[in-house]
Amino acid sequence: MDMTVHEQAVVLGMHEESELKLEVATQWQLTWWKFRKHKLAMFSGGVVIFFYLVAIFAEFFAPWERTQYIAEYVYAPPQPVHLFDDGKWSPHVKGLTFERDPDSFKKIWKIDDENKIPITLFAKGAEYKVGLHWMPVPYLNDLYFTTSRHLIGAKDPTQPMYLMGADKSGRDILTRLIYSTRISLSVGLVGVGVSLMLGITLGGLSGLVGGWVDNVIQRLIEIVMSVPDLPIMLAIAASVPLDWSVIKVYFLITLVIALRSWTGLARVVRSKFLSLREDDFILAAKLDGAPQSRLIFRHMLPSFYSHIIASLTLALPGMILGETALSFLGLGLRAPAVSWGVMLQETQKVAVLALYPWLLWPAAAVITIVLAFNFLGDGLRDAADPY
Amino acid sequence: MTTPLLEVTDLKIHFFTDEGVVKAVDGVDLTIERGKTLCLVGESGCGKSVTSRAFMQIIRKPGKLVDGSMLYRFKKDDGTDEIIDLAKLDPKGKPIRQIRGQEIAMIFQEPMTSLSLMHTVGQQITELIRLHTGATKHEARNRAIEMLQRVGIPKPDRLIDEYPFRLSGGMRQRAMIAMALSCNPTMLIADEPTTALDVTTQAQILDLMLELQNDYGMALLFITHDLGVVAEIADDVAVMYLGKIVERSDADTIFNNPKHPYTQALLRSIPKIAMQRDELEPIKGMVPSPFRRPVNICQFQPRCNQRFEACSRVEPVSTLINENHSVRCLLYEDVAAVHQADTEAVAHG
Amino acid sequence: MWQYILRRFTYMIFTVWIISLITFAVIQLPPGDYVSTMVSQMINSGMDELPPDFEQEVRAQYGLDQPIYVQYYKWMRNIIRDGEFGYSWIYRRDAKDIMVERLPASFAISAFSVLFIWMIALPIGIYSAVKQYSLADYTFTLIGFIGLAVPNFLFALILLFISYKYMDQAMIGLYSQKYETAPWSLAKFWDLVKHLWIPVVIIGTSGTAGLIRTMRANLLDELNKPYVDTARSKGLSETTLLWRYPVRHALNPFISTIGWILPSLIAGELIVSIVLNLPTSGPVIFNSLMDQDMYVAAGFILILSTLTVLGTFISDLMLALLDPRIRLS
Repeated sequence: MDMTVHEQAVVLGMHEESELKLEVATQWQLTWWKFRKHKLAMFSGGVVIFFYLVAIFAEFFAPWERTQYIAEYVYAPPQPVHLFDDGKWSPHVKGLTFERDPDSFKKIWKIDDENKIPITLFAKGAEYKVGLHWMPVPYLNDLYFTTSRHLIGAKDPTQPMYLMGADKSGRDILTRLIYSTRISLSVGLVGVGVSLMLGITLGGLSGLVGGWVDNVIQRLIEIVMSVPDLPIMLAIAASVPLDWSVIKVYFLITLVIALRSWTGLARVVRSKFLSLREDDFILAAKLDGAPQSRLIFRHMLPSFYSHIIASLTLALPGMILGETALSFLGLGLRAPAVSWGVMLQETQKVAVLALYPWLLWPAAAVITIVLAFNFLGDGLRDAADPY
Repeated sequence: MTTPLLEVTDLKIHFFTDEGVVKAVDGVDLTIERGKTLCLVGESGCGKSVTSRAFMQIIRKPGKLVDGSMLYRFKKDDGTDEIIDLAKLDPKGKPIRQIRGQEIAMIFQEPMTSLSLMHTVGQQITELIRLHTGATKHEARNRAIEMLQRVGIPKPDRLIDEYPFRLSGGMRQRAMIAMALSCNPTMLIADEPTTALDVTTQAQILDLMLELQNDYGMALLFITHDLGVVAEIADDVAVMYLGKIVERSDADTIFNNPKHPYTQALLRSIPKIAMQRDELEPIKGMVPSPFRRPVNICQFQPRCNQRFEACSRVEPVSTLINENHSVRCLLYEDVAAVHQADTEAVAHG
Repeated sequence: MWQYILRRFTYMIFTVWIISLITFAVIQLPPGDYVSTMVSQMINSGMDELPPDFEQEVRAQYGLDQPIYVQYYKWMRNIIRDGEFGYSWIYRRDAKDIMVERLPASFAISAFSVLFIWMIALPIGIYSAVKQYSLADYTFTLIGFIGLAVPNFLFALILLFISYKYMDQAMIGLYSQKYETAPWSLAKFWDLVKHLWIPVVIIGTSGTAGLIRTMRANLLDELNKPYVDTARSKGLSETTLLWRYPVRHALNPFISTIGWILPSLIAGELIVSIVLNLPTSGPVIFNSLMDQDMYVAAGFILILSTLTVLGTFISDLMLALLDPRIRLS
């Protein structure tokens, strides 16, 4: 009998503890618990992190150097990876040979079964720096180390290894794809930063001040939303002088893309502020004599950080797509900058694409990251309302 | 005792959520008699609304009727009775749909949201009339105007074409009542119909409902947490706590001779005019979370001021004090039975 | 209600005006103008001796030497008074004629895309909400996400690639050869419709994905509202109930989304027709922007923008008709 009572007490006690945890959990914890349940969103989050890691450590992930090319391997097809040789562990790719088409003198590539090029993980290749060397800050930019290891590569770095084929100049598609993630993914981040500032400022003003300010900002948002953005973006992008530096073009394009996505965020912020103004805890803080700025930054904004993050995550894919589309049309970034859109420019001619379909690999990267961001954003949005 | 209109036995409704199963209604027994008013009383979350929804088979997902019977005595046109077990009907099937609105009608708590704001009052009432009576558009409209008039809506012939968002809360609830009664139901379920209204309107709506019940002679199941309302309208009272009926009797007995500690505590917690403020006694403790309700012991025991040692071991069963008064509390169970349960618990423990 | 319509109408006019300002400003952005492009072309092609005042004269002839606000005023005046959109230096024709030739196909594609999106998104959205978490719901959601993730131009590119590689001919063009240069007629229109489905499907897919999600979310919200319980307690059948109440309520936000899908449809139409080289406004806008053929670019952008604003206005009107709360306010 004692046992039963004791057992029950234990059970009840445990319950109470978990209940207690639930009662004191912060909004972040609740959001996280709810988010964890979305398996797809979790997985997508992993994909997104992986892409950004690739972008940050592109030198390591890319088998080749950024601008490296072998002129004779123009439009070389992908070389499939073989892990075993005669049943023995010996990862290698097959070499390539070519014949000239007698009519067009085009190279016709063949897999050379005799020529086995051994490949390995952590292969030795071109040297590169890892660290803060790129920072324009003295002393800080001394913090780096030099290495020549690449995630994967031919044991003999002079041998060709085109895992995804080569482009029109004999450059490795995979390497370019990896370096492209830097621009393609950071355009989204910088763009999101810009639209975040615009969205929170204008949406916040709209929701907090109200009155004619609200009215003007709402009209502005309506106008921006009803203008078909692409022609305007094209017009602005077309006006970029040819002698502009890559960095300048990059920021202009980012700005152009960001200009169309702040409206959604501004609306979210505004409606949140409007509803929060009436909320009890804000009223309580107000009655406590909290100053306006404290009210906004300590109480109001934190209560919908999660919403903002979700909206931003959902805005990112649009920006990535925007940059890709502009660059694809030749109005965005230009060589020597390399982004997925720039790479896809080569596919504009369907005849070229039909001969060398591996040029379409950047499309797969675009679709993957956009899907991942969408799933992630959806999961975040669901989790943003943990109650 | 007359033959009951609705006899509910061992009704169980469970909600299957991601976090676990919530036994919202866990073995409810009830009888409702023709033309009488039964008040179902309890704190929010005790399962009283879910119970009433079960009678019409409109339990919301993820809730599910898992056990029990609801025998409804259906009066056929030739005057004979047919007994239908509402629990066995398919919630989407035709039989239950013919009972809904025609035999049993329901009024909901929020008059603002339980009427569609996109349809006129008239559209929503005539739809019901035409569905069950086969009346023409014109006949249905006349009937609707007549009903609106009956519930005290001024200028019903104009108001019938208004949208609910243009009416006051009281008017909306009147329209809701007019709609519910438009097919002359045998039983009316009112789920806290006055909670969302202000006090004056509350009184008016209550009076109206009593008056209409006298006129139409329907049975009324009135769900409320307000004992003041109960005192005013109830013939019988059932007190519900955590999915179970803990006490049930006629209104007089409940108010003058309550047996269950919970009922007693409820009564002590309502203000009376001749009372000093500090005499009010709230029930201590809180309703436990649905996921950690005590099992196989008395549910009310943690909050009870009369609990004794057995309460945390044995689950009380419904005990008849007299033929008209039952209570679910160990205080009133046969001591021998309690003892027997005790020894059994020991044996199992 | 009239007040509401009037207010919306005023906003619309105001928005169009702002758009005309933005358009004109953006068109002026590139350094230099068509005349300087022309002059440098002439020099490149061997005409090294141009009269010293040549550039000035040509500018004066086209009014390009005047201050920008005068140019804007004249441009707007001609559009409003005479329906004249200026002159195209590249095509050596009136911009208006090019627009008349190209815009109808663009409208047709956009309009059919809207219909396509509606016809697909509405039933699927409703089905997904009613059968939430069913296999079909998951499938539609997944397809919707993919539609969302594959940008229009990539979709066009992939279709183009497939048709080129496996069907021996690229599916380019909107008209059969017979009608390519024919003036507008009913037969030509019908021919257009028959060729239209490819761009319509491409453009519609991404919009469909978004709208399915909107409709599903709206309806899921509505399905839990108390008025649904009321309707059910009346004894209505589940189907009648669904269509008469929650679907009706969920339509309101759905309709207001037309406003925001139009700009993306126009954008989609532009880029898809550039990729597929369709004889619609896309390629013309693209080329005129590249060559600073400003009146053509400005005219197209202005008309397309006005149309989207008009579309938003129409969706506002439909909203007012559907929602008594707006109508009676």
